Parts: sequence; structure tokens; C-alpha cells
Amino acid sequence: MTATLQPPAEVAPARTGLPFVRWFKNPWRKPRILEAITWIYLAWSLLPVAIAVLFSFNAGKSRSVWQGFSFRWYWQDPDRSVWHDADLHAALVHTLLLGVLTTIIAVPLGVAFALGLDRWRGRLPQFWNIQMLLSFVVPEIILGVSLYFVASQLPVNTPLQAGTWGQVIGLVTFQMSYPVIIVRARLLTIGKQYEEAATDLGASSIGALRRVLIPMLLPAIFASSVLVFADVIDDFVIVRYLSSGADTESVAVKIYNTARGAPTPALNALASLLLVASFGAIVIGYLGYRFLTRGEGESSLGSFAGQL
Amino acid sequence: MRHSREHALSEDRSKDPNDQQRGDGLSRRSFLSRGAAAAVTLPSMAAFLEACSKKDTTGGTVGTGPAPTATFSVASPENPVKWPIFDDNKPIASGLTPEQNATLNVYTYVDYFDKGAIKSFEKKYQKYNVKVTLTTFEDTTEAIGKIRTGGVQADIYNPSYDQIGKMVTAKLVQPINHDYIPNIANVWPTYTNPFYDQEWQYTTPYVLYGTGIAWRADLVSEDIAAMSNPYDIFWNAKYEKKMSVLDDYRTCMGMVLLRNNLSVNTYKAEDLDLVHKQLSLLNQTTKPKVNVTDYTDVPTKIVSICQAWAGDAVNMVSYMPQGQSPDVLRYWSPTGNENMTDNDLLVLLKESKAPVMAHLLLNHMLDYEVSIGTFSFTGYQPPQNKITPEELVSSQFIPKNLASAVVLQKDWESGQHLLELPPDVDSQWQAVWQQFKAGA
Amino acid sequence: MSVGSQRSRWIWPGFALPGVLWLAFLFLIPLYVVLCLAFGTLDPIFRSPVPEWNPLQWDTTQVAFVFSHIFGDDGIFGPAIVRTVVFVLLASAGCLLISYPVAYFVCRFGGRRKGLLLALLIAPFWISYMMRMLAWVNLLQTDGWVNKALSAGGIFPVHVSWLDGRPSTVIMGLTYGYVPYMILPLYAGLDRIEPSLIEAARDLGGSRWSTFRQVTLPMSKPAVIAGLLLVTLPMVGDYFTNDLLSGSPSTSMYGNLINNAILVPAQVGQGATFLIIMFIVLLIPMIYYVRATARAEGDTV
Repeated sequence: MTATLQPPAEVAPARTGLPFVRWFKNPWRKPRILEAITWIYLAWSLLPVAIAVLFSFNAGKSRSVWQGFSFRWYWQDPDRSVWHDADLHAALVHTLLLGVLTTIIAVPLGVAFALGLDRWRGRLPQFWNIQMLLSFVVPEIILGVSLYFVASQLPVNTPLQAGTWGQVIGLVTFQMSYPVIIVRARLLTIGKQYEEAATDLGASSIGALRRVLIPMLLPAIFASSVLVFADVIDDFVIVRYLSSGADTESVAVKIYNTARGAPTPALNALASLLLVASFGAIVIGYLGYRFLTRGEGESSLGSFAGQL
Repeated sequence: MRHSREHALSEDRSKDPNDQQRGDGLSRRSFLSRGAAAAVTLPSMAAFLEACSKKDTTGGTVGTGPAPTATFSVASPENPVKWPIFDDNKPIASGLTPEQNATLNVYTYVDYFDKGAIKSFEKKYQKYNVKVTLTTFEDTTEAIGKIRTGGVQADIYNPSYDQIGKMVTAKLVQPINHDYIPNIANVWPTYTNPFYDQEWQYTTPYVLYGTGIAWRADLVSEDIAAMSNPYDIFWNAKYEKKMSVLDDYRTCMGMVLLRNNLSVNTYKAEDLDLVHKQLSLLNQTTKPKVNVTDYTDVPTKIVSICQAWAGDAVNMVSYMPQGQSPDVLRYWSPTGNENMTDNDLLVLLKESKAPVMAHLLLNHMLDYEVSIGTFSFTGYQPPQNKITPEELVSSQFIPKNLASAVVLQKDWESGQHLLELPPDVDSQWQAVWQQFKAGA
Repeated sequence: MSVGSQRSRWIWPGFALPGVLWLAFLFLIPLYVVLCLAFGTLDPIFRSPVPEWNPLQWDTTQVAFVFSHIFGDDGIFGPAIVRTVVFVLLASAGCLLISYPVAYFVCRFGGRRKGLLLALLIAPFWISYMMRMLAWVNLLQTDGWVNKALSAGGIFPVHVSWLDGRPSTVIMGLTYGYVPYMILPLYAGLDRIEPSLIEAARDLGGSRWSTFRQVTLPMSKPAVIAGLLLVTLPMVGDYFTNDLLSGSPSTSMYGNLINNAILVPAQVGQGATFLIIMFIVLLIPMIYYVRATARAEGDTV
């Protein structure tokens, strides 16, 4: 489609005025201003992070004066590197643990919920569909604080007590809507015909679901797993309110707690490692999604992004 | 004034029209149902109950509670308190073997517990395979809330002494068995019988902190120490957005009270009203940051002047950017009765799963070498007998320009302390603070 | 088949049941707990919140306290609320001003580089919000790179303390933090507009600007609204951006009111009240979004 917007050779721009005005008045000129805005935006959006990553390799204690390249803050420093500071690497491990546990619970729950909502007729499923969408759009602080209140009112040693399981339960509540929305969208594109064909051929509803529908839903299930995982490891609000102490603080909470003090570049290193985990998940997700949707002709980054 | 437990319980509350009166937020029904009746035997809590039962109609100008009552008595140098030891909360027996594979969780401020001390402790008791973890809080009110609700499970907690009464009453802390803590001999003798915990039944001292003002001589032209009222500098519009005050309601509001020659433990609504007005003015004129990161903000020039604990001033030296001299740092704190000097404590929480090991850690923290480690890590001075100010300066532990940041035993003895406030008064303090923090 | 359909009538609700229970217990009941705390009382010793579970015995003291202290002489919460409205409006406008041209360019003129551009646009989405704020904390320090860049390598020394509690820094931070959440829905919305429509407009002699104004802009309105909602809703409850980039009460926002209150036991009831007010105020935009989404799902059937 962009090809059709190329300037036809015979259209000559008005030959009056200054070169700039001429250029500006040319209806087929390239959108230089938009392009400039886009690249400036991208620089503004990504350079700060790139610089923060760069400083995780700083040999000195400063986060703004470059003192040479080293892996000091990753593992060389015997006390304060991510590897040797138990608090920092525990935060990383805990963050990944939350990501895995939440994904394992939220995705099956969400997929079943999506299937149920899709086929269950009546007013009730509409009500729950709205609740689900509400839990998707509600500001996280509302969910986080209300769960924090619940946790603080419950007796000790109940599952929702602040701590790893409290965090997982809170995160599942917040994230469950992702798989539901993505799977429902996929169900709509698939339509009913495959399943009907299977039942016509004698399969039971469950059989048709297992043999026909689930394989067709795999890309959506896979994509939502990746999205939930990547979103959970970046979560801050719920994880902070439901943390019970240093051992249940995620990387984001550590950053919040220490960024206002005098962090060393070890904090940048920790954040960079999380970044690697996030992008690793996304790349795996993208490749896996492409693999699962091969032959469907729409396996572009765009359709993967469209899942967002 | 002193209600007996029986008296408090025998009052016929159901006929009392005030029973349903919850306007002051003090429902005695819920008070009793929380099982806190035992508290009544404590003089302070008895006085508090009396405060509850009096329907005070004068009304405070600040907050929602009734006007503060002056009959509440708390631990203070004039009124030292020996806390009771309850039958169901006794110290552990002597001579027990430390627990195997214990993980001790210490609940403390950020950057307030030397990791070197943890390493040396874990090494010392290696054969028991002990591990120590840290959980951190931003302020003690939040911390005590989490301890109460089980939000945080810790073995050792780092309170200020204004919380001891509440914690003993609610049995959140357990009494200490002194047999495990021979190192108490290393600290100032006053701490074996401090006013806030006579006979040190529940607490061991941690570090001292005077409160004052730190500034950079290169960015501030005034000699703050020489001003007739040094605190006025915080209201000097010249330094708008160039200053910070401590994010601790007692300490920061205490500063305003000291500025006006008032008690830092005031119960008076008019004093609190004055504090409120001056803090509002502060928000309008100089817009200070409210945080506890002054020890790095001054060296990096984010602020030029800050309210600071003495330890922060000492810490600033090590946070100066490379190539910049700490000579520009200054610290002032008042002397005599106008100074505000306190110390933090370590206590053993009731919920501890490894109380013997936790005792050993308390003892470890009072060791001289460990204390020196704590001092250099936190910048705050432990009250060790062997640490003398002269020695600190001569050994270049503290630069000469910051010698004023050394806390002397006489400062502690002559200064004002931030004492525990009765709950209703405390709420009014909190309300003033909330207002300040809301930027109003 | 008939036996199967008898059974299958209960299969699908059965599938939905775990999710339904989950939402009921962990989304709706917690909201009720918030109400019970807002309308609850205080424990007299610890001044900690005591929830009142029975709606008939709800105590309005704390809610009344909050409402009576929003405006007027005792208006201690008013300034923070006004500030929040101003900051959020400015930052949302900033997000829109940035993301519309960017999404438009990538969608229309991305060409062969579209894949790369999209990947770059999505990237901040997967970088932890805290890391992105940390990056700015580093850059905005007095000896940080922003001042270095402004002083053009030390020629005109610039010593702006960006982090000293200025509203502009907070608004910039909010814009920076939430912009990616707007670009993606905008891009998706613009991508859905048929290119043939635009070509038709151009063929009929429309200039670039008039085509944009009369075709693209109206057609992208739903995406703009969705994008605005997606950034505005979380911004209202944001307290961490402010904490990290300012830390001064003079920039306290609504999220800070909530966060400060719920950590002080005596003020938990007020915190709960703040939360309820926020929920009610945001309910209209939330419902709007939910209905639009639900309708979009229905349309494609």
C-alpha cells in the first residue's frame, strides 16, 4: 500500500516560492517531519534505558561518570555484585518464580474461562465477562490495595497472606484477563465450523475440544503465556503491596526501594538482567508464535503485536 | 487515675450511652474484644482508658480525636518504666542449644544493618548452619503494622523506644534472657537500666542519633550554626527546592517544635496547630523534599541543606563524588535541653522461631568489632564504651569539620527524647503529618 | 447428540466456573473489604483499622472526615487532587501528541522498515516501568547526562536539579512512562483503516492534511479514546513516578494520598475511602472501555 503513495513522476510540484515552501507544498513529499518525530521519540524512549544498561558495566561506583568497562556489578565485586549480594540475586530469582507460577495458574484458568464464556448462553456469562474486562482495565493500585487489605485482615497462615502465594494470587487476578481476551479473539476468528464438523463425525463436545479446538488455540495460548510472564516479571504495585519482606521483593520493588537512596550500578545490572529475561521471553514467544501459526499467512510481528 | 483491671471490666458499658458513640474513633467494645484488657494493669494504659471514658468535648483543632489529655504517662527520663513480664510471655530458659538450620530475619531500615555483621555471625555459628536475612521498612509505623498482621515474619526488629509500650502490651516482643548477652558490658552502663525499659528486660541498644542540620558550605552562604535560630533556614525562600527534611513525622515535626522552643513530645493541640501552620508554610515557600536519602542528596547536590541525623552527616563523606572534597560539609545540632538525641533498639519478636539463635545475634551486635562495622556501615554511632569522640577524630574516622556529629553520652542524658505518645495524641500528630505530605 | 447436548449444557458453565469463582473471591470480595474498612472503626490502642462487616452498622466517621477535608479551609486533600487532575491531563495530552504522529508514521509510511519500527515501539512495553524510571533518575542527577547534554560538553555549565521536586519532571516522567501504552492501541486502530479509503480521498483531490482531517482522524477516534483511557486510568493511581522523580510533598498526587494513608494504621480507613472515590470516579470511563470492547467482540461475530 505504501507503494501506491509514491510520487508519480509526471506530477511537477509548484515552482513558486522558496525551496522549503515548495517542498512543503508538494502533496507527495515524503513525511519528513513525521519521520523525524518518530525517530526522536524512539531515541527519547530507548536511549535512557540503553544508557542505564551501559552503566551496569561501569567499573566505578558512579551511575553517571563512566570509569571503564567491567563486569564488577554482575559478578566480580565480592560483596555488592548481583551474583554475590544475596538480596539482589534473590530478587531476580523471586521475580522469575512469580512469573512462572502466575503463568502456570493464570493461563489455564483464563483459557477455560474464555471457552466457558464463549459458549455459555444467557445473562450470567455477560455479567462475568464484564467483571473480567473490568479486572483488565481497573487501575492496578485499586486491585493491589484491596488485596493488601484482605491480606492484612486475614489470620496468619492463610494462602492470601502477604508473601509469595499472596503475590501469585494477586497477580493471577490481574493477569487472568489477558488469556481470556486473546483466546476469545482467536475463537471468533476460528469460528464454529471445525468443531461442528468434528461433532458431526461423531466426536463428543469434549473430544472435539481436545482434538480440534485446543490445537487450533495453541498459538493464542502460547502468546498469552508469554505476555503474562513478561508482564508479571515487570509488575510493581501488586508485588509490592503483597510482599512480606526482603525475600519476597521483586526486582521492580528493589529498584523502587533503592533508587531513591544511593544505589550502585549493581542495581542497573539487576535491572538489565530482568530486561534480558523479558526480551528473551518475548523473542521465544515471537518465534514460537511464528512456528505455531506457520502456513496461516499472517505470522508477522504485527499480528503477534496485535495480540497485545 | 489507676484503674484496676477489675474496675475496668466491671463498668456497665451496655447502659452507657457513650458506648455507641464512635465519633472519637474509640470504641471500648472493640477495645475489650481485642483482648487488650490486660493492658489495663499498666499505668499508661489505665490512664488511657480513663481518657477514653471521659467524653471530652473541647475538641482539637487538628484531626478527629478528642483533645489530648495530659494524664497519660509514658516512659521518660523523669518517669522510667519497668515493663511487666507476662506469664504467657516469659524469657527463654538459660543454657539452651542454638537451633539448627535457623534463618533469622532482621526487620530494619534500608541500609541500617551491616552485612559484614551478618557474614561474621553466620561464620561464627557455622556449625548450626544459621542464615540471616534482612527485611526493610521505610518507617516504624508501617513496620509495626506489618508485624502485627503477620505481614512480615521476623525474629529481630529495630524499633525506636517510643514503640516499646505498645509492643510489650500486645506481646509482640519477648523478654530477653540476659545470660545469653554478656556483651552488654561493652556499652554505656546507662543502657542496662534505660528509662524506656528499666533493667533492659526487652531491649538492647543499637545506635545513637542526634538530629540537626547538614549543609554544604559551598552552596549556602549563611553560617547556619551561627544563626540565632538555625532552623529558620528551612523557611528561607532563597533555598526553595534546595532542601530536604526527614521523612519521619516525629523527627520532622520535632524540629518545628524545637524551632519554637516547645516540647518535642507535646500533647497540646495549639502546639500541633502551630506545627501544622509552619509546615504548610514550608510547603509553600521552600518546598522541601521529604525523604531519608539526604546522606546522598547533599553530596550529589540535589539539595544544599537538609535536616539530618548525625549519622547521615558522617555518611555523606563516603558519598561525595570522586574528586570532590568532603570539606564543604557542615553539621550543626543544638546542645543541652534543646537537642533531640535518641537511640534505636533491637528487640526479639515473640514470633521468633529460633529465639536462642536470635539472642546470640543480639549479643553479636554488641561486640566491639561488630559495632565498629555497624558504625562505618550505617554512619550511626553505637554507644560502645571504647568509642570516644576524641579517638574518632584522631583516627580520622570522622573529619574535623563534622566533629559536631559525634554523639556524647551527656547529649543523650541532657537532650530531649522522642517519647511514646498516647494513641489519640499520636493520631493527631499523624494527621498533621498526613496533611504536610499531601502537599497542602 | 441429544445426550451430549444435555451434558454439554453444563460443560461450558463448568469451564467458566473456576474463573468465575476466582473473580468473585479475589476481585469482588476484596472491593467489599475496602468498603468495610472505609466504614469501619479504629482499635483504640494501636489506632489500627477494625473493619465493620455488617453494612447496617457502617460508621461514616472516616468517610465524612475525608469528604470534609477535600476543599475549603480544612482542604488538606484538595491540592493533591487538583494537582493530579492537572498532571494527568497534561501527561495524557503529551502522550497523545507524541503517539499519534508516531503511530501514524509507522502505520502509513513504515514501508520496509515497519517490522523494525514496530519492534522498537513495542520494546518499552517490555522494559520494567521501574527500570525506565531508574534510567531517568540516573540521567537527571545534577551531574547526570541531561545537564551534560544541555551544557554542550561543559561550555555553558548547567546545574539544574531536575530531581528537586519540580512538577515538570513528574509530568515528563508520567508521559515517558505511559506513552507506549497509547502508541500500540493507536497503531492498531490506524492499521484497521482501509488504505483504499485514504487513496480514494487523495484521488478525489484531497490534500494530505484534509484527507487526514476528514478521513483518518474521525476513523481513529475510537482508538484515540481507548489509548487515552489506557494511559489515564493507571496514571490517576500512580505514586511511584512521583516518589522516584520528585519526593517532595509539593508534587504529591492522589496515588500518594492512597499510598501514604494505607501504610499508617490510623489512616487505613481514609486510604480505603480514597480508593472508593477513585473507583467511583473512574467507573464511568472503565465501563465505557468495557462496553466498547464487549461491543467490538460482538460485532465481529
